[in-house]
Amino acid sequence: MPHSTSAPRLGDLERVVMEHLWEAAGVGDTLFEGATVREVHLRFEGEREIAYTTVMTVLDRLAKKDLVTRERDGRAWRYFPADTREALTAQTMLRTLDDMEVTDRRTALLHFLDGATTDELADIKAALAEIEARAEGEQATSARRKSIRRR
Amino acid sequence: MIPFVLAGLAVLLAWVAPGLMARRKGFRRAPRAALVAWQAVSVGGILAALAAAPATIPLLLDGEDPMGRLQLVVPALVASTVIVGRLLYAGHHVGTRLRRVRDDHRQLVDIVARHEERVRILQHPTPTAYCIPGRQSRVVLSQGVLDALPEEQLEAVIAHEDAHLRGRHDLLLEFFSVVTEAVPGPLRSPEALGEVRLLVEVLADRAAVRRSGELATARALLTLAGSREPEAALGVGTTAPVRLRLLADGPPHPALSLLAYSYAALAATLPLVLLAMAWA
Repeated sequence: MPHSTSAPRLGDLERVVMEHLWEAAGVGDTLFEGATVREVHLRFEGEREIAYTTVMTVLDRLAKKDLVTRERDGRAWRYFPADTREALTAQTMLRTLDDMEVTDRRTALLHFLDGATTDELADIKAALAEIEARAEGEQATSARRKSIRRR
Repeated sequence: MIPFVLAGLAVLLAWVAPGLMARRKGFRRAPRAALVAWQAVSVGGILAALAAAPATIPLLLDGEDPMGRLQLVVPALVASTVIVGRLLYAGHHVGTRLRRVRDDHRQLVDIVARHEERVRILQHPTPTAYCIPGRQSRVVLSQGVLDALPEEQLEAVIAHEDAHLRGRHDLLLEFFSVVTEAVPGPLRSPEALGEVRLLVEVLADRAAVRRSGELATARALLTLAGSREPEAALGVGTTAPVRLRLLADGPPHPALSLLAYSYAALAATLPLVLLAMAWA
């Protein structure tokens, strides 16, 4: 599959380009007027070997994912981040928690833990107390063994 | 005779056994063996249902009334074909859906999260930890969980997620999702998927204990359980109390694993033995 070799690279570029757009949008008090493909391409000149057409592809992919919006400016497009990074992070978190149908989500992503009810928390604390008591017991035994050895 | 026994066995393994097995909660202390038993019962049930059709063929070959025997052979063949069809369809359906959700989510995480050596960090105060399984798997933590847990407990959480990914627990969950979806609604036994979900968590907890000890693992579980709203509205309990209870109870008697493995071997091989007997 050709995309399996190019996809990770494109994914990496998507991140870099998004970071650039977020940075540019967050600088100064004036309203961010968007960035054209040419401007994004210029930004990476000398830093990364990215072809102009690759920047075009990356911005196009980001637009398809609704991560950037674009406006016509003469013959070119001007690209804007669709959301701030904070908002998108919050959205990502929310998607892991609420958005999908619950059975699907619990199979798609494996969470360390889902939230617990008050009753369940009481059970959890009781079990933890047992484990703590046992750990202390073991510590005491090993300490005693050590002191015996010292004698 | 044997085709009927196989059909009966299919019913037993697909509908009766899951309910009974879910009630034997002691086996949760031997999660690996219990998972093998659950898989064996599911596979055994499917094999028994599929073997019923080929088991009727010998009747046709040496029967005195071949046309009359067809009344038995044809329904059996139809049933087997329907089962295979439903499984394939559900497999395709569940597989594509899960892959799409995971791919979309992974791409989003890769863009918004901070990249660190073993994990991705989401800049968010709610403590959460999860993994995205698949060929390009990820362990994802929130800044909230980094702030809430001391290092030892954090290592326990990461070891837990790594265990899910290394053990390909997603494939197990996918298999049981497919089987559940392939069975028509009223005949479905939801116990299997629920129990397997719990067992993979228990298994991953064992990995966390090996890394950081029981105490750190238990404390991490408590902190995370207390930091989120429950999903009570969705009718799904959390696994936390059971998992902590299992941590407190310690390792099982070795005989328990042996029993589960023997049961698994029986459930998976019985349909094939019966099929062989039909042809003998």
